[in-house]
Amino acid sequence: MTDWKFTVRQLAKNPLSLMGIIIIIVFAILAIFAPLIAPTPENQRDPYLIPRDGYSATPQPPSEEHIWGTTEGQYDIFYGVMWGTRSAFRVGLVVVGIVLVIGIVLGSLAGYFGGIIDEIIMRITDIFLAFPALILAMAIVSSIGPSLRSVMIALIVVSWPSYARLIRGDILQVREEDYIEASRGLGASSARVIIRHALPNAIYPTLIMASLDIGAIVLAAAALSFLGLGAPEGYADWGQLTSFARNWIVGPPNNPLKYWYAVTIPGLFILFFVLGWNLLGDAFRDIFDPRLARR
Amino acid sequence: MKDLVRIRDLSVRFYTYEGIVHAIDDLDLEIRQGETLGIVGETGSGKSMTALAILRLIPYPGKIESGSIALLDKESGGELQLLKLREDRMRAIRGNRISMVFQEPGAALNPVYTIGDQISEVLLLHRREELARRAREHLDILLRDGGSPASGLKKPFWRWQRRLYSKIAEATSAVEPRLVGRMPFFKRLLGRLRDEARLLTVNMLKDVEIPDPDRVAAHYPHELSGGMKQRAVIAMALACSPELLIADEPTTSLDVTIQAQMLELFRRIKAEKGASVLFITHNLGVASEVCDRVAVMYAGRLCEVTTIEDLFLHPSHPYTKALLDAVPIPGKELQTIPGALADALNPPPGCRFHPRCPRAMPMCQQDRPKLKEIGKDHMVACYLF
Amino acid sequence: MELRAYIIRRLFLLIPVLFGVTLFIFGITMLFSPIERASLYVTSARQMSDIPQLIETYGLDRPFYVQYGTWISQVFHGNLGWSRVVGMPVWDAIWNFLPATLELAIFAAPLIVLIGIFLGTQAAAHKDRPIDHGTRVLSILGWSLPTFWLGLILIMLFYGYFRGLLPPGRLSIQTDMMIHAADFVRYTRINTIDAILNLNGTVLLDAIRHLILPIVTLTVVQMAFIMRLMRSSMLESLGKGYVLTARAKGLAERVVVNKHARRNALIPVITVSGYVFAGLANGVVITETIFTYKGIGWWAWQSAVRLDIASVLGFALFNAFLFVLVNLVVDVLYTRVDPRVRLGGAVQ
Repeated sequence: MTDWKFTVRQLAKNPLSLMGIIIIIVFAILAIFAPLIAPTPENQRDPYLIPRDGYSATPQPPSEEHIWGTTEGQYDIFYGVMWGTRSAFRVGLVVVGIVLVIGIVLGSLAGYFGGIIDEIIMRITDIFLAFPALILAMAIVSSIGPSLRSVMIALIVVSWPSYARLIRGDILQVREEDYIEASRGLGASSARVIIRHALPNAIYPTLIMASLDIGAIVLAAAALSFLGLGAPEGYADWGQLTSFARNWIVGPPNNPLKYWYAVTIPGLFILFFVLGWNLLGDAFRDIFDPRLARR
Repeated sequence: MKDLVRIRDLSVRFYTYEGIVHAIDDLDLEIRQGETLGIVGETGSGKSMTALAILRLIPYPGKIESGSIALLDKESGGELQLLKLREDRMRAIRGNRISMVFQEPGAALNPVYTIGDQISEVLLLHRREELARRAREHLDILLRDGGSPASGLKKPFWRWQRRLYSKIAEATSAVEPRLVGRMPFFKRLLGRLRDEARLLTVNMLKDVEIPDPDRVAAHYPHELSGGMKQRAVIAMALACSPELLIADEPTTSLDVTIQAQMLELFRRIKAEKGASVLFITHNLGVASEVCDRVAVMYAGRLCEVTTIEDLFLHPSHPYTKALLDAVPIPGKELQTIPGALADALNPPPGCRFHPRCPRAMPMCQQDRPKLKEIGKDHMVACYLF
Repeated sequence: MELRAYIIRRLFLLIPVLFGVTLFIFGITMLFSPIERASLYVTSARQMSDIPQLIETYGLDRPFYVQYGTWISQVFHGNLGWSRVVGMPVWDAIWNFLPATLELAIFAAPLIVLIGIFLGTQAAAHKDRPIDHGTRVLSILGWSLPTFWLGLILIMLFYGYFRGLLPPGRLSIQTDMMIHAADFVRYTRINTIDAILNLNGTVLLDAIRHLILPIVTLTVVQMAFIMRLMRSSMLESLGKGYVLTARAKGLAERVVVNKHARRNALIPVITVSGYVFAGLANGVVITETIFTYKGIGWWAWQSAVRLDIASVLGFALFNAFLFVLVNLVVDVLYTRVDPRVRLGGAVQ
């Protein structure tokens, strides 16, 4: 694990990864201090509901009261994107966290024990992987009923097979290594061998994939919300906010970009958030690539 | 007789993240015509780099800093300064007048093309005129004999083909063959070049003692054993009858029995082809089997260079002696060379070997010892002489 | 193993996978009430009003395996249910909307593959030089872009700001009338092809005008992925021994890169092309929705939002089937490209 020191050093040197880390930290700060930056009105219990200032359908441009304007239905954009940061982190970390656990458990079992356990688990992943993810997620969400929770469940169901496969592949590779034989020879139980020896070495590529995936998961959740299958109307979620902009993409003929703030701002937040994680994941990949010499 | 290759003051440096590595440091070396010169040394001695430098294939972040490598032009008697050549001229030499065999034959062969294709590739690149000439001869025979009644229809095509091949054979940069070669359907007219190359390829495979060469040529690298792959790679290197064959640890990755066969093959090549061979190895035993002369390198510098007999009978440089002593002999206590290999980034000042040398003197730390002649055809770089 | 035998074997293996797929899909439907599930068995508008009777007929309150059995037999008879959203049987809906999506795919897929491979190769061959950095930035950005947002921005610019230059939808109203006129034969229902076959320039141009933005939206994300993959695959390939050997043979750098390195680098990219197809299938839903481009993606979204499960499930099933087929093609292609791999996946 002195690899970690090297890793951190490399991360710090790479300008792209630095940028990614900075972006993520900025978002984290926004998320943590959301109650201070965008305080919830006193009479409102659920902070994730965006305060409305009226019911007019036309979005209002940025003003003193609403720093970044309002969307259709007079939801404050600034409030929405700030609390949306929290939603994004929640969705990303929870989904990827659970998927990692499921994937690691099933993948290790399949890879280490092989045989019929492997076959069964692999066939199950085949079934799931036969669907393009978004479509399956759509099907699941429409059957359970749209909400951010169903989006998370759907994304978990859809994502775990790739992780299980990945871990299984790594375990298969690592299984043949000598130190595994050695520890078995010393009488270690299967569980111990898996946890202490096989996993730590197999886990790096998976971590890369996980970090890249947080961005992808948030993207997918935003897409589902945008399509109306995710967070309910008025919920602080970036995808949800963007869906409001659908009817207001093009303004009146003399000022077609009039409602730019409704479209651009939530979208930019999504873009930068995902960008941050992708930069980080990319940097991880460059570092953990065994072929690139550690010069 | 003039030397085939003359290396003078060659320096190769690697600009790495952590610092500058002197892979080769002011090297002077000659490769004589018809001889098999061995370069012996441990990892990091610079022996592989010397080979790559001759072919100007030093990989990034390395750079040939200074020096000269001269190749003899046998006809004119003049010299070709390899390091100053234009890249396209250099390419005409690679695989043609100087070719190389690498350590891992499995890695050297492209897995998606057949053996035959890869060997033919060299012939098609460097021996186009000869292939065209042979094709033309075959066509002459076809046109003369007439053959079956159906071939009456083919005759005009044959005549066209013959004209094309004539043009290529005359080595003029004629327009017509080049145009035809680029057009999708008409390319087939030049297909006979491939066929001729294939014939020559099979001959080459026969030469390196590969059984059933016709079938082997149609195989992919992964379908052959290690020994066969190495033979194929050697065939590829010899296809254009090079003047210098460089072999970088050709036997290291093979098992001992195959190794013996391979060395036998090298000896035969030496006898039959008359080419010079630069044989790189870390194994003195292997060197003794094939080499006429041997150069010992350490940390990018030349320590000793002499005939193979003299090396074993009168090893002079302490490093050479230590290498000989380190050869394991049953019954004898295992001798190792004390200390560690010279740090590539911060090599010892003066003579690179002095920290590990049993006979080091104070002056060894000061300046680098120059190569001195201490006997007939025997040069050493050491202050003991 | 012989090719024909292999394909037959794979198609046989298709059956258990499809079995599992349908089981899973059907399992999802069990989360609905019997009333909603009735739409799975309906074949005409009239039947929708006979729902209690349907529940009776198809045993929608019976145990799971019985229902699954009935549903499967329905599916085998080609009855995927009734699409509430477009008022026609699901099966018909799929075939109705498919040509539009195919039109997108026909243009998008080659663009993604060719441009992605080309840029990836260039980035690797000129590592650490401007083109490499540029491609890298492009690909990371592309991969981070929310597809739907890109679509919206594009509409904002090219339809809004540039006054209707590139409008959404498949065709403008006039052209739409043209293709439904008597003298226009719709051979494939793919507008560009039909326009060419009918030698009709106006329709062709209009169709292309409407295709540009959706295709850009669709390709950007996938292209970024392929670019990145190709680059790293090329870098690995360029570091291999056979590349050094090729150079030592005196081959020109261009030949070394294109003939030797790239051929090997393409192998992992081909295996991944199955994922590209999946990505396209996903992207198509979002893209068609944003541009109101009426293909199966649009239909699927409409169905999902209005909880028309018959349609959603029919769509999912169709997709799964297609996906498995595509994987089969990719696997066979893989064996053609890499001589080390035999059919059956075993690496020698």
